[in-house]
Amino acid sequence: MSEPGDVAISSGSWDARSEEWLSTGQETRTRPDATHGDEPGARAPDHPSAPHRSSTPRRTAADPVKALMHRHRDLCERAVDPLEIAAGLEAHGVTDRTAARFRHRDVFSLAEEMYARMPRDGETPTPPAPQATSRPRADWVLLTLLPGALCTATVVGLHLTQGRPRLTVAVAGALAVAVALRAALARGPLAPRPDTTAPATAARTWTCWLLAYALLGDGLLRTALAGGPDGLPDGTPNAPWPLAIAPVLALVWACAPAAWSTYAFTARCRRKLTASRGLEDFAASVRPLLLTTFALFLCALAGLLALTSVTLEEPTAYAPTLALGSLLLLARLLTTHRFTHAPAVILTATATAQAMALATVFAARLPGCDVLAVPVQTLADTWGPASVQTLTCGTGALILLLHATRTLTRASAHAPTEEQR
Amino acid sequence: MDNRPSRHRPVRIRSSRCEPSGQRRLSIREIGGALVRIGLLTEGGYPYVSGDARLWCDRLVRGLEQHEFDIYALSRSERQEDEGWIPLPPQVSRVRTAPLWMAEDTGVVYGRRARRRFAECYGELATVLCSGSGMDASGSSEEPSTSEADRFASTLYGLAELARDEGGLVGALRSEAAVRALERACRAPGAPRTAREARVPDLLTVAAHLESALRPLSLDWYEDDGLGAVDLCHATSGGAAALPGLLAQHFCGVPLLVTEYGVRLRTHYLTATESSPAVRALLTAFHGRLAAEAYGRASIVTPGNAHARRWQERCGADRDKLRTVYPGMDASRFADVGESPECVDPHTLVWVGRVEPAKDLVSLLHAFAEIRKEEPKTRLRIIGAPAGAEGKAYLQHCGALAAQLFPDEADGPHAVGDNPVSFEEIGGPELPTLADAYAAGAVTVLSSVVEGFPINLVEAMLCGRATVSTDVGAVVEVIGGTGLVVPPRNPRALAEACVALLRDTERRERLGAAARARALELFTVEQNITAFHGIYLEIVSRTPVRRVVLDGTGEPLPFASPAEAHVPGGWTGQGLRVVARGGPGWAVGPPVRATAPTAVTKGAS
Repeated sequence: MSEPGDVAISSGSWDARSEEWLSTGQETRTRPDATHGDEPGARAPDHPSAPHRSSTPRRTAADPVKALMHRHRDLCERAVDPLEIAAGLEAHGVTDRTAARFRHRDVFSLAEEMYARMPRDGETPTPPAPQATSRPRADWVLLTLLPGALCTATVVGLHLTQGRPRLTVAVAGALAVAVALRAALARGPLAPRPDTTAPATAARTWTCWLLAYALLGDGLLRTALAGGPDGLPDGTPNAPWPLAIAPVLALVWACAPAAWSTYAFTARCRRKLTASRGLEDFAASVRPLLLTTFALFLCALAGLLALTSVTLEEPTAYAPTLALGSLLLLARLLTTHRFTHAPAVILTATATAQAMALATVFAARLPGCDVLAVPVQTLADTWGPASVQTLTCGTGALILLLHATRTLTRASAHAPTEEQR
Repeated sequence: MDNRPSRHRPVRIRSSRCEPSGQRRLSIREIGGALVRIGLLTEGGYPYVSGDARLWCDRLVRGLEQHEFDIYALSRSERQEDEGWIPLPPQVSRVRTAPLWMAEDTGVVYGRRARRRFAECYGELATVLCSGSGMDASGSSEEPSTSEADRFASTLYGLAELARDEGGLVGALRSEAAVRALERACRAPGAPRTAREARVPDLLTVAAHLESALRPLSLDWYEDDGLGAVDLCHATSGGAAALPGLLAQHFCGVPLLVTEYGVRLRTHYLTATESSPAVRALLTAFHGRLAAEAYGRASIVTPGNAHARRWQERCGADRDKLRTVYPGMDASRFADVGESPECVDPHTLVWVGRVEPAKDLVSLLHAFAEIRKEEPKTRLRIIGAPAGAEGKAYLQHCGALAAQLFPDEADGPHAVGDNPVSFEEIGGPELPTLADAYAAGAVTVLSSVVEGFPINLVEAMLCGRATVSTDVGAVVEVIGGTGLVVPPRNPRALAEACVALLRDTERRERLGAAARARALELFTVEQNITAFHGIYLEIVSRTPVRRVVLDGTGEPLPFASPAEAHVPGGWTGQGLRVVARGGPGWAVGPPVRATAPTAVTKGAS
């Protein structure tokens, strides 16, 4: 049907050529119209290329745009904008020349018609499918159990050895537990987000201090108030400076329930995020989740504490241990959700308060400074020396809990992390 | 040769040189002679080894060695940064880079006032985005669209000023306040249906995307010693690369030139198909408005072809600002082939390109079957590597089809035959270079159904080959009248055009020569560089950066920079302190001409 020579003319002056080309370009434009057009009248009756047409069956459609819309219905249903249809049509090879076949000036106006004719009312958006939550992976599940196991081994070693080997076992055990704790917190649900710029060292230092206080602090305070200490602790429960091993062992084992409950919390939050319509909805549904997670962890810690206390035949100190445990959990939860500032401040403040309590007791021995020991003395007389830890850690935990109910219920705290690197 | 001075715009720099008219046409180095300091803005582009369009930028920078280039590059990924830069010529005086793929949360905590300012700006931005992309209402309601565009601009610059005052925006853009503002805007009464359906994850996605898109606002480039010191900003693509240019114009009054070889907005439409309708609606609105703002503020916008130009016009670019600058190709590679048309095998058709389904080789094979009926001695050489797994499968399919359509044939009863259709790749012993590929045939065929700017066609033109192409993309624009064009998906028309050329040697040669002449005129590197050189000088002369010169006590010095300051050559007033005119928001419009144009034309004559 086409005589290609009429499209490109290779003789004559430039101007004449281009003019001629322009005129034949018009002809080119009308040609597909004649071939596939919907009405016979569109065809010029004396068109020179008529003989060829008889061989191809003509498609007749009442509404060519409708056919086009049917062909690109995915694109039309998806589009939020006429330009999106225009871009998609162009990617499928539709040009302005093609658009002319549909009686449109260009692709844009064709796309506008398609966008306008797409039925839009009455359809309800399909609720998004909940994302498949990843199964808990074996590596971090096992890693969370590792510190507890190492700590238990150390305690057993302490019971079995005497004298110098005992000290070696204690030091080696402490180091091993520290390394295991660090590894357990570096991956899994308790790991900080990759884009967190965490001032990690400060928080880590103060966490070590808090654990050390839980181990040694009560005994030191008691002996100090009684006028001691006369020597370093030897690790036996009946010594003048006793070690509180059961709470620390329980806390180290509590890594595992902390990680699991955090995992459950994160997974449920993600599900709520997909399901909720508004930010208020989301906050309202996350708050009970957070409190449940917190309560679950406390129950697990209490159970562990009871177990370790009975096994080691130590008195069960629930209040200080639970306070410290909740403080550490909340600090970690906030840190993993990119709120690093508040946990760092609270951990620092708590540790400083404990150090101050100890310092005042020793400072009161200086002549004329008796008054300094009065608050701690009164506290110890009323509720026992363990109340210092209960009070400091409890206050910190409460503040962090209030902070967490405000911040962790925000949707922005649970925004998916960026993966593009 | 249409060099009538009356039709020229009054360009101060060029016309202030009063040579005799015989010396007017100097080489590129001499014209104007003005030293322009250009801030080249790239995104995932030029100085990086794996950057887009780095070849073009490299040629541009090397071609304009009389000017000074400051490169401000946004990198797209960590891998791109690790791969390093290409060697830079000495006219690049500084390179500053910033990552777009990560944001350093500087830990800036806003005070109450800054928080309120941010909430206002961001809320306004969200409202504008929820009021649609601004491109649906074409013609009918110009007024509201204009005011929406102004609101978008004011929120954008408001956020930029906030970032400059407070030292960063990243934390705030990620904060709950941002998500809340988005939610409020989406639930507002006038919001469109798609926006109203936004769920919490959608809001988070939009907030994250906006945060990454607005990262250039937090950069420290917009100081007097940064982008404030350049004479013009040249954004090598739309989108993120144009954003620093917009801010430089806002803060320092530096004119902006936007070059787009592919329209970024269109790329956004084609790539962002995965997310939910609400996310797409809001982000599309953002990118659309950003594009419109860039086109609106730019002094000149240079699309790479008519297709990009149509999109830019559609997105609100003023027609007066658009100058099509075709991409330049290195013509020297094809010079030998192009200038020796006699060594042509008259019975061979060549197809060159990357093998993929959009090239419609099936249609080409069917057309070749028709050609063989008319001209039995013809051969077809399909030269090119497959693109990806899909391309490989398609190549296999085409090979099978060719084997079915055309039996092997030999010259005589005792010769070993082979198939008239051969599939080859460049780099083998027969075809060591690209130019050899085009030289292998008398006619080059292009059978694509989808095409952007057909580089293969330009290469064929530079080789002086007659071409038959399908009418897709920018083909007609490129070929002009120097080759045959047939409708796509029409093997018979393709076959007839090929036969016509194969039979007519003289016409083939004429068309080939014309094609080569056209390509040499329009699609060479030199024309590209010359065009940009002219545009630079035009921008600098029409919208010069007006810097306020301060005296020793910090008072502005009136008449401190007289008209001679813009004349080429040394200017003595160097020691004075110069600050860019940041100014209040209302003073952001295009700078007023320093001197009346009448004086300029008088000086030229």
